[in-house]
Amino acid sequence: MQQFANPRRFLRLVALVEPWAWSLTAILFAVGLYMSLIVAPQDYQQGETVRIMFVHVPAAWMSLLAYVDMAVASAIAIIFRHPLADLAAKAAAPIGACFTFLALATGSLWGKPMWGTWWVWDARLTSMFVLFLLYLGYIAVWHAIDDPARAARIAAIVALVGAINLPIVKFSVDWWNTLHQPASVFRMGGPTLHPAILTPLLVMGTAYLALFVTLHLTAIRAEIMARRLRQMELARADAV
Amino acid sequence: MDLAAPHLGFVFAAYGLSLIVLAGLILWLRHRYRALTQRLAVLEAEGVPRRRISAGAP
Repeated sequence: MQQFANPRRFLRLVALVEPWAWSLTAILFAVGLYMSLIVAPQDYQQGETVRIMFVHVPAAWMSLLAYVDMAVASAIAIIFRHPLADLAAKAAAPIGACFTFLALATGSLWGKPMWGTWWVWDARLTSMFVLFLLYLGYIAVWHAIDDPARAARIAAIVALVGAINLPIVKFSVDWWNTLHQPASVFRMGGPTLHPAILTPLLVMGTAYLALFVTLHLTAIRAEIMARRLRQMELARADAV
Repeated sequence: MDLAAPHLGFVFAAYGLSLIVLAGLILWLRHRYRALTQRLAVLEAEGVPRRRISAGAP
């Protein structure tokens, strides 16, 4: 990992990988959407509404993955002072916030016809809403503090403290009596879904994962550019 | 897909919203990168050094 500590080397690597990553993402989405909208059968209880699961569940997975990414990068930034770690954490935040918003919104669009309500304050929905607020808080810290080094340190602490919410989101359906159904894919004893539903879900999950990785690489690259721009603007201000 | 099935509007709304949010995110990230690259190119053309000369620069 240390060999990618050099931003210039990292930028060269991203330039090489990015076109392939976008192509793979596009192919996975084409296959995933075909399977989700055409191939997958109706559910015997949910009917066509089950198709919302193919965009809701992957968005929820990515919302958690993005936060794990942000928290691990923040820990690396604090412990090892890796020059790209704080930028990687910062870059993951808006992407994670978008996935969390999508998980909440598409879940609401599924809840109205299936539960008869857009929203309930049960443990899973509430902890996901808290996750969304954590993303917004993390982004706000970066915008509120002018000194990037200080902003990075405080934002990293916010990210690490907020990581306590991750097991709460995951296990909320086991620890409390919730309207949200328990885990049906990543659980002890294996998935409970029929392969006709599980396969498109996993393909869409892989497509969302590819999109997250690709967007994250693009966002880190932009953050490196932003840091370089700030240094040049300060250098110009010094020269005046 | 059964186009006469009930609640299909919710399905299309979920896919439409996902498309709008993810496309918006992609376009925003690409636009931001392009804008930063252009601004950097302007500063480099002006001959601005990449780092501050003074010690203790961030």
